[in-house]
Amino acid sequence: MEGLMTKTKRTKNQRSRKGQMRVVEAVMASLIVVSAVAFLYVFAATPSSQPQETSELEKIGHNVLHDMHEQRLLTRFVYNSEWANLTSGLFVSLPTNVYFNLSIYDTNGNSISHPLILYGNEQIFDSSKAVASVTYIVPGYQANYSPRVLVLKLVRG
Amino acid sequence: MRMARDRKGQFIIIAALMISIMIVSISTVIYGTVTYYRQERWEEYVTIVDSIKTGSYNLLQVGLANYTQTLNSMVLRDYFNQWMRDVRKAYPGFGVDLSYSLASGVHSAYGLSLNYSLGLNRTWNQPVSFSASNATVSLDLASVGLTGYNFSSHVFLKTSIRDAIWFSKSSKRYVLVYVSVDREGPEVVMNLQKSNFREVKLGGVPQSFSVKRYYHKDYSSFIYEIRIDSISALPSSVEFTLSDTRGIETVSYTKNIQQSSD
Repeated sequence: MEGLMTKTKRTKNQRSRKGQMRVVEAVMASLIVVSAVAFLYVFAATPSSQPQETSELEKIGHNVLHDMHEQRLLTRFVYNSEWANLTSGLFVSLPTNVYFNLSIYDTNGNSISHPLILYGNEQIFDSSKAVASVTYIVPGYQANYSPRVLVLKLVRG
Repeated sequence: MRMARDRKGQFIIIAALMISIMIVSISTVIYGTVTYYRQERWEEYVTIVDSIKTGSYNLLQVGLANYTQTLNSMVLRDYFNQWMRDVRKAYPGFGVDLSYSLASGVHSAYGLSLNYSLGLNRTWNQPVSFSASNATVSLDLASVGLTGYNFSSHVFLKTSIRDAIWFSKSSKRYVLVYVSVDREGPEVVMNLQKSNFREVKLGGVPQSFSVKRYYHKDYSSFIYEIRIDSISALPSSVEFTLSDTRGIETVSYTKNIQQSSD
C-alpha cells in the first residue's frame, strides 16, 4: 500500500516537472518568435514621405507643362515672351498651395533672359527639403527650330 | 526516457527557430519586392518619354511649317538630326538615344494618297490641297533598360474648296468661295481668322476679301466663306493661300467656278 502511494507520488512529480518544462519551452519559443517579428520592424521602417512628396509634385508639374504644350500655349508663351501669361497659366493650372519657379535655358545650358516666373517666396526653394524639379524640352515654334529647356521647380507651401 | 524527453524539448526550440528564420526571410523578400518601385524613379522616366513624344510631334509641325514656307525639302531631316542631339543634352545621365525614320512613298490616309519624300508631302494648287509630315521615332532609355520604344506621329492640313460661285445678278457682283479646313485626327479646324488667309487671287490677280465662318447645313460642315466684291466678269480661276495657327500653309486652286443669277 505504502509502495503504491510512493509510486503515485513519484509519477505526479514527474508529470509536474514535464508540465513545467513544456511551459518553459513554450515561453522560449514565444520569445524567439516575438523577437523575430520585432526584428522585422527594423526592415519595415516606413520610408520618409519626402520622395513620395516630390514624386507627386513632379507628376503634377509635368502634367501641367504637357497640357499647356499640347494646347500650344506653352510654345506661344515661351517664344513670344509672354511671361505674364506663362506665370498666370502655371498659377491657374497648379494647386494653390504649390509654389513654382520656372527657368528657361537653351540646349547648351545658357539661361534665356526673362523676368522671374515665380509664385511664392524665392527663399522657400532654397530652404525646403522637398523641392521637385521637372525638366521639359520644347523644340520650337511656328517654322523655327530653336529648342528651349524648361526647368520647373515646385514646392508645397 | 530522460534523453527522449530532452530531445523533444530541443525539437520545439529548433522548430520555433526555423519558423522564425522562415518568417524573417519571407518577409524580407516580400518587403523588398513590394518596395522595389520606390528605389526607381519611374515618374521621371515616364515624364521623359512623354515629353520627347510631344516634342517630336511638335517638331513635325515646325518642320512642316518651315517646308511649306521655304520649300526646303531637307528641313525635317535636319531638324530631327538636331533634335536627337538636343534631347540627349537636355536629359543628361538618362542614356537617352533617339533615332527616327521619315516616311517615304505613298501612304493612304484621310481618303487621300500622300506621297512622302523625306517625311514631307505637299499637294497644292488643287481644289483639295494638303500638306503633311510623317515620321516614326524610336527611343531608348539606357538608364532604365528601355529599348526600342517606337511611336509614329504625323501632321496634316487639308483645305477643300467646296464651291466657288460668281453671283452675277445682284447690283454688287461678287464671288463666294466655300472652304472647309481639316487637320490630323481628323479634326475640323474652326479657329482661323481672316489673317490666316494670306492671299486670295481671281484669275491670278490678288483681291481684297472678307471671311466669315459658320456651320453650313448643305455641306454638313464648318465652312469659311470668302467673299470678293465688285467682280464684274466670271473669273477664270480662284486661288488662295492658307496658313493655319501652326504656320503650316496650303495653296488651293480651282477653275471650276459656277455662275449664279439669283
